[in-house]
Amino acid sequence: MKNNLLRGFYGLLIILVASALAFKIFQPIKVLPRIRLAPAFDMIDQDWARLTSEDLRGYVVIYTFAYTNCVEPCYHINETMKEIQARLSETKLGNVKTAFVTISFDPQHDSPTALRAYARNIGADTQQWKFVTTPNESLLKAIIGSGFQTYYEQKPDGSYAFDPAFILVDGWGVIRGEYRYQTEISTADRILRHLGVLSQEVQNAAGPTKLAYEAAHVFLCYAP
Amino acid sequence: MKNKLFYVTGTLVFLAGLFGGFMWFRPHTFHGTVIQSPELAYDFTLNAAGGKSISLSDYQGKLVLLYFGYTFCPDICPATLANVGQALRSLGNKADKVQLIMISVDPERDTPDKLAEYVTHFHPSFIGVTGEPEKLAEIAALYGIFYQKHPGTEATGYLVDHTATLIVVDQKGYLKLVLPFGVTVDEITEDLKYMLR
Repeated sequence: MKNNLLRGFYGLLIILVASALAFKIFQPIKVLPRIRLAPAFDMIDQDWARLTSEDLRGYVVIYTFAYTNCVEPCYHINETMKEIQARLSETKLGNVKTAFVTISFDPQHDSPTALRAYARNIGADTQQWKFVTTPNESLLKAIIGSGFQTYYEQKPDGSYAFDPAFILVDGWGVIRGEYRYQTEISTADRILRHLGVLSQEVQNAAGPTKLAYEAAHVFLCYAP
Repeated sequence: MKNKLFYVTGTLVFLAGLFGGFMWFRPHTFHGTVIQSPELAYDFTLNAAGGKSISLSDYQGKLVLLYFGYTFCPDICPATLANVGQALRSLGNKADKVQLIMISVDPERDTPDKLAEYVTHFHPSFIGVTGEPEKLAEIAALYGIFYQKHPGTEATGYLVDHTATLIVVDQKGYLKLVLPFGVTVDEITEDLKYMLR
C-alpha cells in the first residue's frame, strides 16, 4: 500500500514536470514580453488637438520618432509605417484598436502647422496616424530618451542624429516590442506578426485561458 | 470486484492529486499587469516631512508601492490608500517588508508635512513625498502616470485628474506589477503575500 502511494506520488510529480517541460519546449502559446511601462505624455498634434497617453489607453500603438526636416532615415520610417497600415488586415486584429504616433523631437521647428504639412507631404492618413510634439523640451527629452529609450541629439548643422526606432505599446501602456535594427525579416513584417500575437493575447487572455497566457510569460514563450 | 474498486479509487485519488498538484504549482495569477523589465525601476529623490530626502533606492529589500495622488483628492486616492492600509494590516508582521510612497501630483498645495499628516491617516508606515513641479512631471511621465489640473468647485478648489494605478517595485528594485484602480483589499493582499513569500 505504502509502495503504491509512493509510486503514485512520483508518477504525479513526473507528469507535472513533464507538462511544464512540454509547455516550455513546444510553446503552444506565444506572447510578447512586457518590457517596461511606456511614458505618459501630453502633446499637441498636427491639427492643434491635444493627444495624451490616456487618450490611447485601450489602443495598440506604434510609435516612431522623427523631425520634419529629416530626409533619408525618415523616408524609410514613414514607408514602413504606411506599409503596416496598408497590411493591417493581414493580422487577426479582431476588435483590437490600433493607432500610429510619430513624436517630433524638434519642437522649435515642428509646429502643428509644420507637422500637418509634413503629414500631407508623405501621404499619411492623419485619422489613424498622429504627429505630435510638445514645447517642453526637457520633458520631451525624458519621454523619448528615458521613457522610450530612443536616442536623439541635434548636430551643429541643425540636423539630428537619432535612433530610427519603432516601439509597440499595448492598451495598458506597456511596451511590448522595440524594433531598432534591420534584420533579414523586414521591420514591417516583424511588427505585423507581433501585432497579430498581441491581438490574440488581448482577445483570448481572459478567464481560464489567462492562466495559460501567464504561463507563457513565465516560461518566456516569446514570439520571434 | 475488489480489484476494480481499488483501481477506480486509485485513479480518482491520482486525478485529485494531479489537480491539486496543478493548483499548487500553477503560476500565481496577479490582479494587475506583470512587468518583466530587465532594468531597475527609475530611481528618484524627493522631499518628505521633517526636511528628509527620500529615494526609491533607499527601500531596496522592501516591496515598494508607488502611488501618485494628492491630499485634496476627493475620492480615488483615499479609496486606494485605505485599501492598501487595510491590506498591510492583514499582512501582520510581514507589513514591515512593504513601503507605500505617495508621490504628489499637486506640488502647489502639498507640502511634505501636509502629505505626512494625510498619508499616515491611512497607515502609520506610509510616506508622502513632493518636489519641484518639473521633477515630479518627469518622474510621473516615466512611470506612465498622466495628470492634469481640472476646475473643481469653490469648496474643493482645482482638482487633479491622474492615472490611478498602484505600482509595485520588488525587493531588488525592479518594477514588477501595475495594479489598476479598483483592486480590492483581498486582491492587494494576495499579490503582496505572493511577492513576500
